[in-house]
Amino acid sequence: MLRLFGLKPCVVPTQIKAVLHHQYMNAELDATNIFTSIRKRTPIVIAFICPDRLTVTYSRSSGPGGQHVNKVNTKAEIRFHVQTADWIPDDVRNKIIIQNKNRINKVGELLVTSEASRSQQQNLNDCLQKIQDIIAEASQKPHEPTEEDIAIRRARLDYMNKERLKQKKIHSVIKQSRKVDFD
Amino acid sequence: MSASKTTGGKAIDILRNLPRISLANLRPNPGARKTERRRGRGAHGGNKSGRGHKGERQRGNRPRLGFEGGQTPFYLAIPKYGYNEGHSLRPQYQPLSLRRLQYLIDLGRVDTSQPIDLTQLVNGRGVTVQPLKRDYGVHLVEEGADIFSAKINIEVQRATEGAVAAIERNGGVITTGFYDFRSLTILCKPVPFFLSGQPIPKRMLPGEDMVRYYTGAENRGYLSDPEEVERARQELAQKYGYVLPDISKDELFHMLSMRKDCRQIFFGLAPGWVVNMAERKILKPTDEKLLRYYGS
Repeated sequence: MLRLFGLKPCVVPTQIKAVLHHQYMNAELDATNIFTSIRKRTPIVIAFICPDRLTVTYSRSSGPGGQHVNKVNTKAEIRFHVQTADWIPDDVRNKIIIQNKNRINKVGELLVTSEASRSQQQNLNDCLQKIQDIIAEASQKPHEPTEEDIAIRRARLDYMNKERLKQKKIHSVIKQSRKVDFD
Repeated sequence: MSASKTTGGKAIDILRNLPRISLANLRPNPGARKTERRRGRGAHGGNKSGRGHKGERQRGNRPRLGFEGGQTPFYLAIPKYGYNEGHSLRPQYQPLSLRRLQYLIDLGRVDTSQPIDLTQLVNGRGVTVQPLKRDYGVHLVEEGADIFSAKINIEVQRATEGAVAAIERNGGVITTGFYDFRSLTILCKPVPFFLSGQPIPKRMLPGEDMVRYYTGAENRGYLSDPEEVERARQELAQKYGYVLPDISKDELFHMLSMRKDCRQIFFGLAPGWVVNMAERKILKPTDEKLLRYYGS
């Protein structure tokens, strides 16, 4: 009589299905797709950051804030050596060095700091997000047109040329109609 | 009292020789009882007896509270706005910081070797939840996340992202579960409920406004998909910069994986059962209709 919860996928009660159906107007909802329909868009994560490979230090932030800013170490700084970071792919690593010359010091370590918020934890999250952004920017590949794109582009160019010639013909006819031929 | 040669073990012997305790022998410690200042009885209780000099004050005819002598009073001058509109219908959650939780664990008021529930927190006098004041449970807050270091299996009603991260960082498990008013009252005060002799009711499912919260993996809702929860755990570890410990290799894995069914209020007790505290017996229903009702 007692349903064992264990680690099996949960049996979604019918009442919950009814509520979600009303809210999301989906045709069929069962345990497999009920959760995908309400999942939020998650940020794109390219590289898996290993926290033990990063050096994190905390220090006091700058700016106004009285006793809190004077005493509490809220500024977070993360540094890691780029060339030996094998958790980032090779080409991405090189791109990072090229794109972020200003953030890399003489030793070759990438420095990321954040003192945006009052909380040390939030600043640490901000630093990690910045690292994700740097990696994402470095892994961007130039967009290659697919076969469909090429076909569409060719069709459009042909159409443009045809239109141009048609307009040219029309213009020519107008000009010829203004000529007076003395036969 | 006569001087005693010995103290402690011979107290009963001394008591045997002393006169009987009666009202004539008892008196309070000096300074324990201070006589009150009685009005209208001379010196500093008398004369005007604390009423002032003439006027409405002395004659007991002051106007109502809030009256400002004819000037439009503050409570009428300020325009109405719906700040408190529907306040009695808004769900409230008693905050529980990780700092307080660590304090309770350190003092032994909350047992970490068993899953921590709202009942355990109330038994350890960690939180006070008032269901009659629109409380819907406990809200776990990340104040004290830097000093928190305990591996626990905890079930709360709401939890902030930072609190979830702090608990999972230490190898624990956190779930959020919904309790309707009756279930919450029973959860906070189980003994009076058992003494009433009623069968344990089934926990109601959340209303429309709360379904989204409890089916969301990032809130570790009790109605969410376990696979999504696992993915959310990884993402949170990435976001907060810690290595996610593997619970399946833990020795307390069985305890950490204990979770209640969505209709269950207590661990080990199912809806429909009657608990007899006097005879220490549990009565279970056998009728088919009852079984179908309590099993749905």
